[in-house]
Amino acid sequence: MNLFIDKLSKWSRSQRNRNLIYQIIFLLFIGLFVNYLIAKASLLELTLNHFNSRAGFGISHTFLIDYSSNNDRWSAYFTGVINTIRVCLVAIVIATLIGTLMGVARLSKNILFSTIAFLYVEILRNTPLLIQIIFWQIIFLKLPRISEALTLGSTVVISNRGILLPYAKASETNSSNIFLYIILLAIILAFCISYYLNKREDIDGMKFKLFNINLNGNLTGTLIFLIISVFAYYILQKPYIIDLPSLYQNSKGTFLQSGGFEFSPEFGAILFALVIYTGTFITEIVRGSIQSLPKGQTEAALSLGLSNYQTMTVILLPQALRSIIPPLTNQFLNLTKNSSLAVVIAYPELFMVSRTIMNNSGRALPVFFLILFTYLSLSLFISVFMNLINRRVTRIGT
Amino acid sequence: MLDKKLKWIFNTFSGSVFNTVISTFCIVLLFFVINNLLGFISNSEWAVVTENRRLLLIGRMPQEEEWRAWSILWISSFLIFSSLKSFISPSKKELTFIFLIVMILCLIFTTESSIFKVIITLMISSFSYLLTKYISDTPIIHKFNKFLIFLWIFLVPLVFCLLLIADGPKPTLWGGFLLNIILASVAIGIGFPLGLLFALGRASSLPAIKIVCTVYIETIRGAPLVAWLLLAWFVLPKFLPEFWGLNDISVVVRAMIILSAFTSAYTAEVIRGGLQSIPKGQIEAADSLNLNVFTKTSIIILPQAIRVVIPALISTFIGVFKDTSLVFILALTDLLQVGRIIPEQDPEFFGKALEALSVVAFMFWIVSIALSNLSSRVEKSMGIGTR
Repeated sequence: MNLFIDKLSKWSRSQRNRNLIYQIIFLLFIGLFVNYLIAKASLLELTLNHFNSRAGFGISHTFLIDYSSNNDRWSAYFTGVINTIRVCLVAIVIATLIGTLMGVARLSKNILFSTIAFLYVEILRNTPLLIQIIFWQIIFLKLPRISEALTLGSTVVISNRGILLPYAKASETNSSNIFLYIILLAIILAFCISYYLNKREDIDGMKFKLFNINLNGNLTGTLIFLIISVFAYYILQKPYIIDLPSLYQNSKGTFLQSGGFEFSPEFGAILFALVIYTGTFITEIVRGSIQSLPKGQTEAALSLGLSNYQTMTVILLPQALRSIIPPLTNQFLNLTKNSSLAVVIAYPELFMVSRTIMNNSGRALPVFFLILFTYLSLSLFISVFMNLINRRVTRIGT
Repeated sequence: MLDKKLKWIFNTFSGSVFNTVISTFCIVLLFFVINNLLGFISNSEWAVVTENRRLLLIGRMPQEEEWRAWSILWISSFLIFSSLKSFISPSKKELTFIFLIVMILCLIFTTESSIFKVIITLMISSFSYLLTKYISDTPIIHKFNKFLIFLWIFLVPLVFCLLLIADGPKPTLWGGFLLNIILASVAIGIGFPLGLLFALGRASSLPAIKIVCTVYIETIRGAPLVAWLLLAWFVLPKFLPEFWGLNDISVVVRAMIILSAFTSAYTAEVIRGGLQSIPKGQIEAADSLNLNVFTKTSIIILPQAIRVVIPALISTFIGVFKDTSLVFILALTDLLQVGRIIPEQDPEFFGKALEALSVVAFMFWIVSIALSNLSSRVEKSMGIGTR
């Protein structure tokens, strides 16, 4: 017995062994806790079988998927996911643009410009996103009623049911798909050519010459794209026509609107709120990153004779990008999660659809895990994409 | 002299074509916004706010329980204004700004019946400020500062005592701005220490602890707060043990649990950033002095780590405070919810949603801007970024 205690005390004197014991005790407690949770959870229904049954509720915004209330819950859920992705994608692009613009404006020598950026950040960053969403919804609902709708030369219809914009519509010639493929090919071709020309200019130090004309990479690419698409458009006998929105009264005097691209008040409200709210945070990120650059960079650029605009776009922003991207990724993730607040104005995105399913089925836990899983995969997707960009950006100049 | 000024104005506003275009655009934008804002303020009727002050501030708490809210207000105004002089000592400009905001708040929320109490509040505030100013040169100030810190730490329990003693109203009757403040302070009060633990756990060298903490933090951060609150609404009671009547806890407590868990995950991430910024030499020095793990963490690592991240921590807290408006999903009537419901349900105030919303936004804005000024203050006084 004594021998055993002796050995044990010797064994436990090593830090590594003691750490092992601590971890085992810790895991034991965690295991008990998890066991308790699982025991409680097993009393509940945990499968997603009910997702195959009829959904039974309508969704006001469908995009890419044709959904009706007779479809199953999976397609309702996917409609929600697509709505989320749609609003997030648009919001991320516009918020980045606004944030960069305002971040540069914050550092502008023009006092008016920088004051506007300052007020924008200080006022809008410090009010909850939820208030801003509701605010934009109220603004959109204050637009004129449909009987008094504004029509700007019969191209745009603005009323409190939404804003209808002109949009392209496939004509009856059935060649619209071929046209889309040709456009895609033209884009790829234009990118390849302009990339090649730019690279060549970088290496040779002079522009590529064709019949004694200097070719600018970006300009050539754009021209090639335009020429191919215009030709294809006429050769395929106008595969797309412009779809103008129209407003008319039926026999009972009810106003109806049709055609065009509908920009609904809900979508507009959540988009505006997300863009403007996230834009304030991006502004601060951009400003901080540019300010953290050594002052010599600006001075060197100006002494080389670059203009203020060139200094910003060629010298400062590319360098600032290195420290912008990681926090920017964080803001994109926040934006994606914040889009769930659209539930308050009934924009049917992922969270709202899932909540309706939860209420209808009465099985909250599995649906919650589905929500968690979906947001985690969206986050993962954004992180991976931004990491790729980050790798590309940090390689510049090294 | 005048010539120089003219030149300066010319250079800043129209040095080049591009600059001129921007200036013109800014002037048009500013004119548009200010014009609309003034038009809105002068044209709207504020009856929707002035007749529902009580609802906006304390929700459905009964009239005879109002003294609880007043005493909380008095204690916190004493605390805020003494600490203002003692720890921050604002400049004249800041003082004017604070004075303006207090006056606007009084203008919005004073009724004839409560004017006496409002005057008491103002007197307490100014008195505590002047008192602190008077004793700031005497040696008592150190003891007084300690007393203030002590009060700040015990403010949340004190508020709870005030709300619950002598048959206080049920938590479901708490509402309005009071509910936002309570939820935010509980979330921060519980979430911050927990977040500290999780951050240390995630930075730990023991793999088991590290993995568990990482999984916790990433799971909480994975789903949006509304989803977690919805989970609290539906399934949290089923996961609580059955004794002490724990499984039918009030919705307010559920919101507190979720908000604290959420805050802890986010603060843990912030503090982890601070932990990573500590130079390795500090830890090696502590090890070579043969400090044990507890001493090493509490007197070497944590003070340095937290010092670096105080601004980020405060902005997380601002985020938590703004997020307390999401409790609408639990059918709680917080400030925003009151401001939304009144114009929708009271026929007297139909179509006055914008007025109510702007006052609600103003209330949230004041607290957030005060905190964010505090954070920039702390940043300056500690010289972060200038080292």
